[in-house]
Amino acid sequence: MNLLFGLSPFLAVGVGALLLMLAEAFGKPNVAPGVETTDAGAGRAGELALGAAVILVIGAVLSVAVWVAGPESLPELTQVAPHLVIDKFTLFFSFTLCVGGALAALLAGGYLPEHGIDRSEFFPLLLLSTVGAMALSAAGDLLTLFVALETMSLGVYSLIGLRRGSPRAAEAALKYFLLGSFAAAIMLFGLALLYGATGHTDLAGIGAAVRSIGSPGSTVSAGKILISLVLVLVGLAFKVSAVPFHQWTPDAYEGAPTPAATYMAVAVKSAAFAVLLRVLLVGFGDERLASWGAGWPPALAVLAVLSMTVANLVAGRQESVKRMLAYSSIAHAGYALVGVVAAMRSPEAVSAVAFYLLAYTVSTAGAFGALILCGSRGAEAVSYEDLAGVGKRHPAAALAFSLFLFSLAGLPPTAGFFGKLYVFRTAIDSGLYTLAILGLVNSVIGAYYYLRVMVYLYMREPAPGAPRAVTMRSGFVATALVAAAIFVLLLGMAPGFTLDMASGAALTAR
Amino acid sequence: MSPAVRAVFELAPYLAALAAGALLPRRSGWAERAALGLTAALALALVRGLWPGAAPAPAPSPALEWPHLLNVIVFLPLVGAAAILFLPRQSPTLLRRFTLGILVLDLVASLFLLRASPERGWHFQFIADWLPSFGIRYHVAIDGISLWLVLLTTFTTPIAAFVSFGSLKTRVKDLCFSFLLLQGGMLGAFVALDLFLFYVFWELMLVPMLLLIGVWGGVERIKAAYKFFLYTMAGSVLMLAAILYLVWSHREVAGYLTFDYLALSRLVLPKTAAWLCFGAFLLAFAIKVPMFPLHTWLPDAHVQAPTGGSILLAAVLLKLGTYGYLRFCMGMFGGPAWGAAATLASVAIFGGILYGALCAWKQDDIKRLVAYSSVAHLGFVMLGLFAGTRAGVEGAILVMINHGIATGALFLLVGVIYDRRHTRMVREFGGLARPMPIYTAVFVLVTMASIGVPGTNGFVGEFMVILGTFTSMTLGSNAQMQGVAAAFGVILAAVYMLSVVQKVFFGPVTNPKNAHLPDLSARETIALAPLVALIFVLGLFPRILTDRMHDSVDAVLERYREGRLAHQELPEHATTARLRDRRGGPLERGYPKSPEEREAEAAKLAAATAPASAPAAQGAPQ
Amino acid sequence: MSELVQVYLPMFLVFAVGAAIVAVFWLGGHYLGPKNPNPEKLQPYECGNDSDGARGVRMSVKFYLTAILFVVFDIEAVFIYPWAVLFKGLGWTGFLTMLAFIAALLVALAYCWKKGALEWES
Repeated sequence: MNLLFGLSPFLAVGVGALLLMLAEAFGKPNVAPGVETTDAGAGRAGELALGAAVILVIGAVLSVAVWVAGPESLPELTQVAPHLVIDKFTLFFSFTLCVGGALAALLAGGYLPEHGIDRSEFFPLLLLSTVGAMALSAAGDLLTLFVALETMSLGVYSLIGLRRGSPRAAEAALKYFLLGSFAAAIMLFGLALLYGATGHTDLAGIGAAVRSIGSPGSTVSAGKILISLVLVLVGLAFKVSAVPFHQWTPDAYEGAPTPAATYMAVAVKSAAFAVLLRVLLVGFGDERLASWGAGWPPALAVLAVLSMTVANLVAGRQESVKRMLAYSSIAHAGYALVGVVAAMRSPEAVSAVAFYLLAYTVSTAGAFGALILCGSRGAEAVSYEDLAGVGKRHPAAALAFSLFLFSLAGLPPTAGFFGKLYVFRTAIDSGLYTLAILGLVNSVIGAYYYLRVMVYLYMREPAPGAPRAVTMRSGFVATALVAAAIFVLLLGMAPGFTLDMASGAALTAR
Repeated sequence: MSPAVRAVFELAPYLAALAAGALLPRRSGWAERAALGLTAALALALVRGLWPGAAPAPAPSPALEWPHLLNVIVFLPLVGAAAILFLPRQSPTLLRRFTLGILVLDLVASLFLLRASPERGWHFQFIADWLPSFGIRYHVAIDGISLWLVLLTTFTTPIAAFVSFGSLKTRVKDLCFSFLLLQGGMLGAFVALDLFLFYVFWELMLVPMLLLIGVWGGVERIKAAYKFFLYTMAGSVLMLAAILYLVWSHREVAGYLTFDYLALSRLVLPKTAAWLCFGAFLLAFAIKVPMFPLHTWLPDAHVQAPTGGSILLAAVLLKLGTYGYLRFCMGMFGGPAWGAAATLASVAIFGGILYGALCAWKQDDIKRLVAYSSVAHLGFVMLGLFAGTRAGVEGAILVMINHGIATGALFLLVGVIYDRRHTRMVREFGGLARPMPIYTAVFVLVTMASIGVPGTNGFVGEFMVILGTFTSMTLGSNAQMQGVAAAFGVILAAVYMLSVVQKVFFGPVTNPKNAHLPDLSARETIALAPLVALIFVLGLFPRILTDRMHDSVDAVLERYREGRLAHQELPEHATTARLRDRRGGPLERGYPKSPEEREAEAAKLAAATAPASAPAAQGAPQ
Repeated sequence: MSELVQVYLPMFLVFAVGAAIVAVFWLGGHYLGPKNPNPEKLQPYECGNDSDGARGVRMSVKFYLTAILFVVFDIEAVFIYPWAVLFKGLGWTGFLTMLAFIAALLVALAYCWKKGALEWES
């Protein structure tokens, strides 16, 4: 029974996904009388979105419940241990993933019908992908790690291509699919090498084997370990879309339906960071590898600096808001990577990254949601020009958009500010002054393009005669925005409980 | 004498002032007359109430200080801003009245701050744990310095809002929201004693000011808004890095996390680190002040901002930079601040006072001229702070207040002709004294205050700053020279201000468009009246201000000196920080406790309650 | 710095050797291979027939669908074999686990059925 309780967040979302599949296939299509359809899900995006959101919220609540009960007090969880490691780290991330998924589902509930994408598969796919993401954050074994990674990715590949008629969506899906499989293959090669070098598939065993290098009687080859480390890093850097493995991101976000882009930006990234932290700290946590002189920290530091700087500079030059948000998500991967680098010295940095990702999840989901509200069928808001004057036409959407952008820019009193503060504090605690200052300077560069959205929302009027994006109203999107806004303000002003949760999320394996 | 008769006698002077204010102006309109009379009576009440010899100072008893007063003052506008969101956009009158009501209420509430005793230490202190795991507390308090800045803020914001409501008719809801949020941010930054809290309020101000400039500004408003925002943010993120470094060093030395100013100011950093952190703080504040060569955002922001925005920007926002330097740079980095003072003072004189004045002289746009004159005046403030003498620092605070009043009034006056002619170019005007006599009189009066003619408020502060500079030890052997150079700035101020007054107001009416401009409206008169009243009140009775700040200024200077000594005593190549000794006393009231102290206290509390209950429990059966 | 180089050296060596091998084979084939082109040789090769028609012949998506369904359910069956071998040792836990697995498969099958993936004509 305790086992079931410990696994309940995963079971809830997994079983919920299956039930939603059945509900989608066996329900009655909700179409105008006289219209023939063979698709049982036709016209039912609303109810399915609600179902998906409820399931994911249940998953989030169960994550918190198990966290409060304390996974260490559930000894039965060791039965699934190396494959699924249920600790506070996992639970925090599964909470984040469920929140991100629920927000994306609500956004889809408003977005898909508005834009005539009548594909109800979206919701089962979203749930299944979330199960994969949650399993990824729990994976303590190379096998589950890879299976979970693919479960998560497969769903996302199809989510991107849902707008079947659009060549842009096809391009995005194909690009992401090809590059994603390529990265997965590289990573798989690294994992195989890792198994070959150490004889273990569980990360803890790999960690022990890596530690034994250099001691008499050890047969583990340092060279192979290093090569596999590099290959795994490349694969995961692709998933978190760190520069220079980011090329797919803007195209994929632009081509995908906005809720799918939201899901990619929040859930896929968070899960990839979870597994990155676990692999690096548990598998490669040896002092010789996790040090500034050699090993992964300098490589990740370079990735972090590149991600922040390149993405921020390029984002300022974008004309499409969606692409800007894509580059912003790359920049945020850079900030979070600063925290990952700091994790080599300070265990608190893991909590900082976890908290940062939660803050990032709610802010980004909110920003995409507000962008959805700014457009409507046939007139989706894409470019900055489309946003001109929305402050007058739809004040609530503009206000929400501003709030989320301020959070992304890291202005108090929002979640994004506190997340940045936490990450950079741990960076300074670990003596990474240069990285922290580069990150902070970068957040000023970033403020420029977030500000630009504000400028268009409030300070410019649409050019006379230009096609103007008509704002839409949707209860689903509004609900998602209100929820995200509450999170953003709560995490920014009274993050006490969440901080406690995050501070329990430290990886204890080192 | 019956109480009624005595009341009549006591009220007589106020009634006289009321009558004089109401009857003397030539204008008609009962609302205008009533407001003027009320202003006169209130000005008298202010002088009598604050005059140090008038009544025995209230005994410093904590009962007089309601601990929640600062919370009310800071959060009233913030809650108001949140409430604005739920008011209907369609009824601008309701929105305006609500906003003004909140702002006036805030002003009234802030007047109660004057009941604080003028002794050193923190008053109206309120402390609550906010994020204990980060050592972040909600810690607000005022001393004799921030008291006046808070009052300046609560005093000028209603005026700025009132003026704006006259000229800005579009998007009233956003306007009200911006004003209230801005007010909350400014007040919070002045009273925060926790560096995290300070940073939150410091950044909170950016957004509403950005909106004020960008939405209701002039033609180039968007560029000015970007410039304002990015300059300030660039400065403040480095300050954030320095804050985080301070917090980390404090934890290394003391063993626990805290963002509290009282604790962090005890920290003596290794020399390089101290200089770098000082530099980061200085950058943030110098951009805000703004000091040469970081002042380039200011003229743009001022010119583009609407009148209300300009008033607040000049009167309050810039003061946050000087206040920040006084409180944080001098309070926490005594050594580097002392070491850099002589150089920075030269920058303040030549880049600020003289260069600012010369730039102002060459401006065609009156608003730009006033903006550059702000650069010059704030040069005086910084000079006084760098001088580090009691006269210098008190003078600097006086200039802060007086500049807020005089320059606020000047921006208001410039806004008046801009509303009528939609231009601010000097060459467009001439001979305005004929169609607008009252306007001219007020303008000349405010100009006198801005120049610093004795009898107006501008004189006292600048005089004290120059005096303080002259006798400053900090500035070294050049102090006298610098004092003389600063005095030149006063002369230049007269040159540029009087030349523009002469061009705009006197001589024949050259431009026919100006021949029939209406004089000050009721709204404008009411907005100007309190400012003009204060120009005289503070010019004639500066002791109202100085008597309440002596002790606090002494405390600041003492801390400054101690910081310098501790910095100098630190070995040249020390790599670890250390903590200065605790000095105790009222200045460390509210010092954050370490976890051990907290535990000990909790244990003591438990022990204190346990015996009380234990005997009772034992006693019950007997 | 030297430590860094030393540690990463093997990795760079692998990259270098990989690139070198590719380069050798590719350039070798390009320069060393005999080339005697004639029209017959230059024609695209297509199962011995002369090529004609469009390059990308569109196959009906049904073939792919059937193939993928076959693969999915076939691979699932593979999981059941080792379970059957170890059936006694796994006991009731194993039985229930497999039930859950098959239930998930059934859901998938029902979904395919209802969505019309099993129909050839439509």
